[in-house]
Amino acid sequence: MKRNSFYIKSTAQISIQQPLCDDWMENPVWYDSNYVRSVEPDYKQYILPLEARRMTRIMKRSLTTSNVAIKKSGLTLPDAIITGTGWGCMDNTEQFLDTLCNEGEQLLKPTLFMQSTHNTISSHIAINTHNNGYNITYSHRGTSFDMALFDAYLQYKSGKLDSALVGSHDEVTPTSFSFLKKMGLVGCDDEICGEASASVVLSSRTSDTHSAVAAIRIVYKPSASEIHSAVNQLLADAEMRMDDISAVMVGISGNKNTDKPYHDIVDNCFKDKTILHYKHVFGECFSASALGFYAADCCLKYGYVPDFLYVDKSHGMIGPPKNLLLVNHSDGKIFSFVLLRYY
Amino acid sequence: MGQPIFITGAGIISAIGLNKQEVLSSLLAGKSGIADVRYLNTVHREFPVGEVKLTDEQMIQMLDIKPDAVTTRTSLMGMLAMKEALNEANLTCEDIHRAAFVSGTTVGGMDKIEQYYLDFVNNDNKNDYIAVHDCGTCSEMICDYFGDFAFVTSVSTACSSAANAIIRGAAMIRAGLFDIAVVGGSECITKFHLNGFNSLKILDTGLCRPFDETRSGLNLGEGAAYLVLESDDSVRRRNVKPLSVLAGYGNVCDAYHQTASSPEGEGPYRAMREALEDAGLNVSNIDYVNAHGTATPNNDLTESMALKRLFSDKIPPVSSTKAFTGHTTSATGSIEAVICILAIRNQFLPVNLNWKNQMENGITPVTGMHPEKPVTNVLCNSFGFGGNDSSLLLSSSDNYEKE
Repeated sequence: MKRNSFYIKSTAQISIQQPLCDDWMENPVWYDSNYVRSVEPDYKQYILPLEARRMTRIMKRSLTTSNVAIKKSGLTLPDAIITGTGWGCMDNTEQFLDTLCNEGEQLLKPTLFMQSTHNTISSHIAINTHNNGYNITYSHRGTSFDMALFDAYLQYKSGKLDSALVGSHDEVTPTSFSFLKKMGLVGCDDEICGEASASVVLSSRTSDTHSAVAAIRIVYKPSASEIHSAVNQLLADAEMRMDDISAVMVGISGNKNTDKPYHDIVDNCFKDKTILHYKHVFGECFSASALGFYAADCCLKYGYVPDFLYVDKSHGMIGPPKNLLLVNHSDGKIFSFVLLRYY
Repeated sequence: MGQPIFITGAGIISAIGLNKQEVLSSLLAGKSGIADVRYLNTVHREFPVGEVKLTDEQMIQMLDIKPDAVTTRTSLMGMLAMKEALNEANLTCEDIHRAAFVSGTTVGGMDKIEQYYLDFVNNDNKNDYIAVHDCGTCSEMICDYFGDFAFVTSVSTACSSAANAIIRGAAMIRAGLFDIAVVGGSECITKFHLNGFNSLKILDTGLCRPFDETRSGLNLGEGAAYLVLESDDSVRRRNVKPLSVLAGYGNVCDAYHQTASSPEGEGPYRAMREALEDAGLNVSNIDYVNAHGTATPNNDLTESMALKRLFSDKIPPVSSTKAFTGHTTSATGSIEAVICILAIRNQFLPVNLNWKNQMENGITPVTGMHPEKPVTNVLCNSFGFGGNDSSLLLSSSDNYEKE
């Protein structure tokens, strides 16, 4: 069996849009602020209140999107749990740091430390779902989700696994927002800084699915010609031509610094394609590309692209999308290309 | 069974030496690198630690980096270890340009963050250091020193980070995506995790005693180690002689508790079993196990349970080398993989220092370095918070050359 398509069984998100649903397609929530925190669902339905009280926001969100995605997928025990996070459990890390730097090395709380490592999220999901399978966490800035998805896809292609829960999660506390802003990374110019928690279950099974990951390529510090060849290889991997791509979805967010590599790539590689964006709806953060993936999957599932996702309409509107290409970058150094196909 | 991956270069920096030769000498001499705190700016002088015996400034000089460059201790140690690995593998710029880099860390640049955190909050004097906190930047700082890699990623699974970075690199070679992958991990001691482990009450104020009845916690260590992994084709094409072989690996989740192992050592057992299956070997083929053996009451008991369950009454020589290096947290997987490679190549058993008293229900670790039979296949365990448990199976390259 040729294992090029890794089928998307289910997705779930908690973000600055309405949580755990796809309402944003018809009724997006628009914001005037530079910094917006996620809209929290009523966790009582998903986590016992006693347990929820001991969890930080990122823990509640990641566990809930994971559990909802697993439930919707019909697969109780995916073969692997593969997680991305850029800055990890910032709330706990920050509280611990704050005490350390302001009050010295005496009054530190073990719980904050225990739940400060990046892999807290992925192992918490494993503990909660009793999953002994392959479990790993990638932490590579704005490509953390792409790295996690890439691992899952490659192992699927190699026949090492048949299903996986892939997610990426980042919380942005007020302090971390101020740090990100000082770095010029997030919340600059017209950009909204959001938070992201998105989970997807992928499987070899073709039942109850509308879409699949058809190819992934990730390159480091590529030249313009290396970007071209990465795109060509991606298309070859999926046995597609450029004409087969309905639209290209990029991470343009309104931040002049981080938008430039997207404009360059569009000019160099996708001049004739319809370009879509999503970060003006979901905001920017290290796990934002997971929401881009989710948004593209929604477009394939519902068979249309909402009006507000078009960067411009110079190439006209597209009908029901067949194949969507996601482009993501981190600091203009890492470029990720994820090709989704309608099934 | 998976395809074997060749190791053609290895570099290490740790409390017991700044390169493989120094580490080997310390291991053979039974000389620990654990001592009183000398470099870390902490009030906790009561905990002995396994520090790399260099200041940041000395490392900056050794690497010929601009003195005012933004660096972290984790990235500096990483560069030094990687330099040794790349030199040994004799990689050209073109080889590097086709290669992947996979690095494990958790602490990353926390040394600089804890130093300048109040500046980040209160002023703009140290803003350049905010960006060095995360794992991704840490990896990029290390590999950019050597050229333009084709692919870079960062694994963060706490104390199994480097082991999982090795696994990820090997998987990408097996999948045919790369011929060469440079893999491993780096982690410096910080006040952040020294205090974290202290808050969990798992640091020993004396020297750590893995697998000893009187063990009462770990000594933190620091360091870095990297391996150059290559496919069979690449080894032939470049006409290089492998140091050792990564014959198999296992990654599982204990799925029990955030900071404790399941009582019967389910995760450790599964990780080792998977590594064996992946390598197509059985328990009788294993000549040595480099245990995770942190010297915490919980780890050493549950790892013993897992070893007994896997090997029943035929447990091969087992030791923890953490009484030499300290627990180097995210770097431990690659540091101990290099120790295993040294053991295979020099036919000795790294001893379990500071062991005196048989622990109840525990394994009896190796205290003599002369093996009874050749050291050909070894298991190297790394277990992390959250039950991120991994095991590597390293083998002598002699077996593969004969084929």
